[in-house]
Amino acid sequence: MDVVGYAFMAAIAAGLGAMGGLGGAILLVPALVLTGMPTAQAAPLGLISVAAGSIAAGAQQLRDRTVNHRLGVATEIAASTGAVVGATLSGLVSDSALTYVLATVAALAALASFRKGRVHVALESSDIEVGERIGSLSGVIRTPVGIVPYVVQHLPIGLGLMTIAGLIAGTAGAPGGFIKTPATSEVMGVPPRVAASTTTFTVGVTAAAALVVFALDGRIDASISCAVIAGSLIGGRLGAGLQSRLPDQLLRRVLGVLLVCVAVVLVSRA
Amino acid sequence: MSTEFDHSLAVSTIRGRWQVPYLTWITRVLIVVALVGTFAPGPVGTVVQVSAVAVAIAVPLLRVLWLIHRWRQERDWIFVVIGGALLLVIATGAVIAIVG
Repeated sequence: MDVVGYAFMAAIAAGLGAMGGLGGAILLVPALVLTGMPTAQAAPLGLISVAAGSIAAGAQQLRDRTVNHRLGVATEIAASTGAVVGATLSGLVSDSALTYVLATVAALAALASFRKGRVHVALESSDIEVGERIGSLSGVIRTPVGIVPYVVQHLPIGLGLMTIAGLIAGTAGAPGGFIKTPATSEVMGVPPRVAASTTTFTVGVTAAAALVVFALDGRIDASISCAVIAGSLIGGRLGAGLQSRLPDQLLRRVLGVLLVCVAVVLVSRA
Repeated sequence: MSTEFDHSLAVSTIRGRWQVPYLTWITRVLIVVALVGTFAPGPVGTVVQVSAVAVAIAVPLLRVLWLIHRWRQERDWIFVVIGGALLLVIATGAVIAIVG
């Protein structure tokens, strides 16, 4: 396949991923593997797509003030440690083992796409200032139903899940956002909007941590990476634009079914 | 760790709104550079491709550096240390990749 083909593949994956709210890499890496690319070579391309998507989403999330940077950086220590370890070890693991990891990741992401979120209680009064709190992981967010203060709970479990997400990112090139977002909202008790935005910020850092290792190992193909960046940014924008016009639940279910099919095909190929 | 929201904690002044136009422009420039890199042949193409990849890797890390700087201004030393530890983890990975 030529670089234009990779750009189209990245655009389609990013578009579908953005519409389903899971990001493009979760589809891109399996798609690359199914075209015959070794998983070890596809993983860095998935992470490049993640990093580019995280940059593209950054401006809107800063405007909305939905990212909790303190929580993101604190949990990112665990995720980046996992990503660095995963990226270092991925060079030593057989390609078929990596493909099994990727199939498991696709199946887990499919499960995540069917989940329902926790409901947070909004306060009637609006005299609490919105934003992060200095010296803590807590904060306050404005939602359509009111002001929602939150406190991070079960931090050790959350950090454990972040480490797993980082390991998956480093080995399989999938961003692990499908673990990070539910871990942040369901386990750590953070409102879903903050969890999703904080995850979008942190997956970029996780990807960068693993990509530093891949780059210094000489495992990044710059020409294909460039095509993936172009495709991911354009496809991600188109997908995000279409997302608001299509039914959210249906999109997530379609993406979930697609990921189950991807997992089955990957296992049969491995 | 308390599960009750502590109303006595000070609100962080970090908004990061000045980053919005920069991130918007970086995204636009990255699209153009990546498209040029996809189609440009030869050594020029290689330089453009490597630049696009370098930007994609560097920007998330620069955002962490900026956060550490702002937390230092807010005298939030716990998070200055946490941010520094994150960069140390990434630097350790780089050293392992070089040495290994």
